[in-house]
Amino acid sequence: SRLAEGTPRRSIQLSNIVEKRVFKEDEIISTPKRGRTKKVPEDEDEDEDEDYTPKKSIQKTPTRSRRMSTTTKPSTTPSKAISTPSKGAVAPMTPSQKMKKIRAGELSPSMQQRTDRPMEDSSKSQLQLAREQLHVSVVPTSLPCREKEFENIYAFLEGKIQDQCGGCMYVSGVPGTGKTATVTGVIRTLQRLAKKHELPAFEFLEINGMRLTEPRQAYVQIYKQLTGKTVSWEHAHSLLEKRFTTPAPRRVTTVLLVDELDILCNRRQDVVYNLLDWPTKSAAKLVVVTIANTMDLPERLLMGKVTSRLGLTRLTFQPYTHKQLQEIVTARLGGSQAFKGEAVQLVARKVAAVSGDARRALDICRRSTEIADADSANVKCVTMLHVQQALAEMIASAKVQAIKNCSRLEQIFLQAVAAEVTRTGVEETTFMGVYTQVETIAAFMGAAVPAPGRALRLCAKLGAERLIISEHSRNDLFQKILLNVSADDIHYALRVGEVSS
Amino acid sequence: SPEFKPRNKYQNARRVLNSAETQNLPGREEQLQELREFFTSHLETHTSGSLYVSGQPGTGKTACLSLLLRDPEFSKRLQRVYINCTSIASVGAVYKKLCSELQLKVSGRTERDHMEAIQRHLRTAKKMLLLVLDEIDQLCTSRQEVLYTIFEWPALPGARLLLVGIANSLDLTDRALMRLNARCELKPRLMHFPPYSKQQIVEIFKSRLAEAEVLDVFPPVTLQLLAAKVSAISGDVRRALDIGRRVVEIAEQQKRDGEKEFNMKALELDGKDKEEAKEKQDTLKPVQVTQVAAVLNKVYGASQNLEADIEDAFPLQQKLMLCTLVLMLRNERNKDISIGRLHEVYRRVCSKRNIHALDQAEFAGTVDLVETRGIIRIMRKKEPRLHKVLLQWDEEEVHASLSDKQLIASILSDTSCLGK
Repeated sequence: SRLAEGTPRRSIQLSNIVEKRVFKEDEIISTPKRGRTKKVPEDEDEDEDEDYTPKKSIQKTPTRSRRMSTTTKPSTTPSKAISTPSKGAVAPMTPSQKMKKIRAGELSPSMQQRTDRPMEDSSKSQLQLAREQLHVSVVPTSLPCREKEFENIYAFLEGKIQDQCGGCMYVSGVPGTGKTATVTGVIRTLQRLAKKHELPAFEFLEINGMRLTEPRQAYVQIYKQLTGKTVSWEHAHSLLEKRFTTPAPRRVTTVLLVDELDILCNRRQDVVYNLLDWPTKSAAKLVVVTIANTMDLPERLLMGKVTSRLGLTRLTFQPYTHKQLQEIVTARLGGSQAFKGEAVQLVARKVAAVSGDARRALDICRRSTEIADADSANVKCVTMLHVQQALAEMIASAKVQAIKNCSRLEQIFLQAVAAEVTRTGVEETTFMGVYTQVETIAAFMGAAVPAPGRALRLCAKLGAERLIISEHSRNDLFQKILLNVSADDIHYALRVGEVSS
Repeated sequence: SPEFKPRNKYQNARRVLNSAETQNLPGREEQLQELREFFTSHLETHTSGSLYVSGQPGTGKTACLSLLLRDPEFSKRLQRVYINCTSIASVGAVYKKLCSELQLKVSGRTERDHMEAIQRHLRTAKKMLLLVLDEIDQLCTSRQEVLYTIFEWPALPGARLLLVGIANSLDLTDRALMRLNARCELKPRLMHFPPYSKQQIVEIFKSRLAEAEVLDVFPPVTLQLLAAKVSAISGDVRRALDIGRRVVEIAEQQKRDGEKEFNMKALELDGKDKEEAKEKQDTLKPVQVTQVAAVLNKVYGASQNLEADIEDAFPLQQKLMLCTLVLMLRNERNKDISIGRLHEVYRRVCSKRNIHALDQAEFAGTVDLVETRGIIRIMRKKEPRLHKVLLQWDEEEVHASLSDKQLIASILSDTSCLGK
C-alpha cells in the first residue's frame, strides 16, 4: 500500500476519500463509482474495462502531480452525493465514523476515475511511444549497468534471510544513480523466489524520510504497513518494540527499507537509533537497508553509538559514466528508431560531465522528443539539433539574456556595480559608491542621471530579479550591494548587444 | 533453515558472527564479576546504591547488564526493570514508562503523579528493585531535573533501589550531575568498560567460531591481523564482527565466482579429470590474509580510495571544480573561498581549456554533489553565492593524486587563471 502517506490525521480531507468499503466476501454490494453508471446501464461494462485499462495505474509510484491533485483539488464528487442515498441498507456515515473507518484501514483511499478512456497504444506515433518509454517513472524490469550493485545487495539480503538473523546495510550515492530502483528490484526478485519456495518467506516494509512530516511518524508508517491500522506514534512505537523484542516462534524475517535516512536524523537521533537497534535484538529478525545521498553520513551526522550499530556493510553507487547513460537510454528505447545514435550520445556526454544523473538524461531526451514533435518539419526522428535545443533549454542559463533585456538605466546600474567592484577590489559595495559610478557612466554616455530615490528602485528591482544581492532599501545610501552574476557576463551581454544594435 | 539448501561453513560462520546478543561474553569476565559483587553486596546489606557504567560504543555494556538481568540468581531477590532511554517520548515521560514497567496504579495523568507513585512504591516495595537505564545521556536537559530526581532515589528514606545508568561518555556524572558529589551517599559508583584489546577480540572470535565448529574458516594469523587493526582504531566489537562477516562474505563470493569459472571449464574436461577437479573444488578454502587486508583497507583507508575515485566515474565538471579549489588553496593566501569566487576562477579555467562552463546555479549543484562524497564541506550562508567551501581531505594528498592526471596537472600549474 504505497498510498499510505505520512500525513497527520487532521489534514486527511474527507472529501478526498470516495467511499469504497472493504466488504466481506459473502456480501455482494457493488459500490457505484460514478453516478452515471447507475443511470446508463450500457455504460457499465465500459466502466468495468476502465478498471483494467488505465495505463497510469501500472506505474507503481503515484507521481507528484497525481498526488497533488488529490489534495489540492476540492473534489466535487457527484458520485458521493448520489451514491450515498442509493446504498439504502448502509446508513450514511458521520464524519467521525468515517475517520474511524479510515484509521482502522477499512476504507481504502480511491481516486476519481477519468470519464473518458485513455488512448489506445496502437494509435500513438513512434515519437509518442518513445516519450512514454523514456518517462522516469517507467522502471525497467532489469536495470542496465547496475549488475554489480544488484549482485552485492542480493547476496547480502539473501544471506540475511537464509541465516534468519538481522542486520543493516547502508547504501549511498548521488541522486539519480539507481539506488532505490536497484534495492526494490532485488526485493522483487527475492519475493518471487520466496513465492516459489526457494527461499524462506519474508515481509517487506518501506518508509521514506521525505514522506514523513516528522521523524517519529516513521513508527506510524511501519506499523501501518504491518497491520493497516493508523495509531499515534507513541502507541505504534510501543507495539513495534513489543513485536521486535519479544521472541515469537515462526516469526518471519522482516526487511525494512529506509529511504532518505538523513531526514530521519534529528538532534536526539532516537528514531534512527531505534531503527538500527532493533536488528541487534535476536528476536527481531529485522534487516534494515538504509539509503541516503551522502557517502560519509554515518561519520558526519550520526552519533557514535548509532554509527556503531549501522555497521560497515556499505555500498556506494557511483555516478553513471557517459557509456552507461547511453546504454540506459538505448535500453529504454528498445528497438525504436526514434532517436539518432549520435543524439543519444550527446545527451549522455553532457549529463555525465555534470552529474551522472540518469533522471536528467531521460528528462532531456523526453524534452528532445517534444521539440521534435513540435517541429514544423514534422519529422519522425530526434536529431542532434533537437537535442542541442533541449540541452540549451535545460542546462544553459538565462542570465545573459536577462541582462540584455534590462532597461537602459538598469544596465548602467549593473555596469556601475561591476566597475565599483573592480575599483575597490572587494566584492561587497555600498550604494553610495555605486551611485557615484552611475553618475560617471551616465555622464560619459550622455544619459540623464536618475535621482537616488529612483536608483534605489532600480536596485530593488535588480535585487528581486536576483541579478544583484541587495539589502532592504531602508538603509538607502549605506546599503550593501553584491553582484550575483559574474562581471564577465555583464560585459559580454552589453558589448554583444552594442555591436548588434 | 534445513528445508532449504545445505549450509556450508562460510554460511555458518557468517551466521555465528552476527552482532546480536549472545549468552557468553569472553573478555568481560572481570566486569561481570564486579557487577555481580556490587549487586550481591547491596542485596545482602539491603542498602540502595547507584552505579554509572560508561564505555565506547560496542564494548559490551548492555550485553553484560542484560546477561545479569536474565540471571536466575537475582531473579528471586530482585525486581528487575530495563529501560532504554531512547525509546521514551520525552525526557519527563520516563516516569510513565517506569510506572508501566512496574505495573503501578497511578491516580493522575501528569508527570508529577507518576513520579509520586514511583516514590511511594520505592518506599513500600517488598522486593529490592534493580533499575537499568540504558543510553542515559538522552535524559540530559538544561536543568537536569529528571536525572537528579532519579539519582536521588537511592537516598529516599526506606527505598531499596539499585540504579544502573549506561552511557558512552566517561564523565557524564561529573559534567551533568555535579551536585551529587556534594553528598557522598548519592555519589554514583563509576565503572568503565575499556575498549577490547587485541587478545580479547581474538578470544571473542574463537569462541563464536567454535560455537558453530567453523574455527578452520579463520586461520589464526587472519584473526590476529583483524583484531590488531580493530583494537588499534576503536576496540569496538561490533566493528570487529562486521569486518569478520564482510571477510566471510567476500570469501564466499570469490569462491562462488571460482565455481562458475570452474563449471565453464568443466564442460571442456572429460570424465576422470572432472571428478578430480571437483573434489579439489569442494574442499573449503580458509580465509586468506590478503582478503582480510583488502576489507580492512576498504574500511579504514579513506584517501587510498581517492585515486581510484577520481579516476573512474567522477564527472568532468566535478573534477574541474575540485582542481580549481586546490589551485586556489595552494596559490592564494585567503583560504576562505566562497562559491562565487570559486565560480569566477572555474570559469576562467574552463574557457582556457575550451570547455563549456556551467552557470552559477548549476555550479552550486555540482558543489553539492561533491559534498556528498565527503571531499568538501559547504558552510551555508544566506546567499548561495556566499557559501563557504572547505576542503575536508588532506590538501597535499588531493594535490598529489590530482597531479598525476594530465589535464588536471596542467590546470594545477596554471596560476594565471587566478587573475589578479
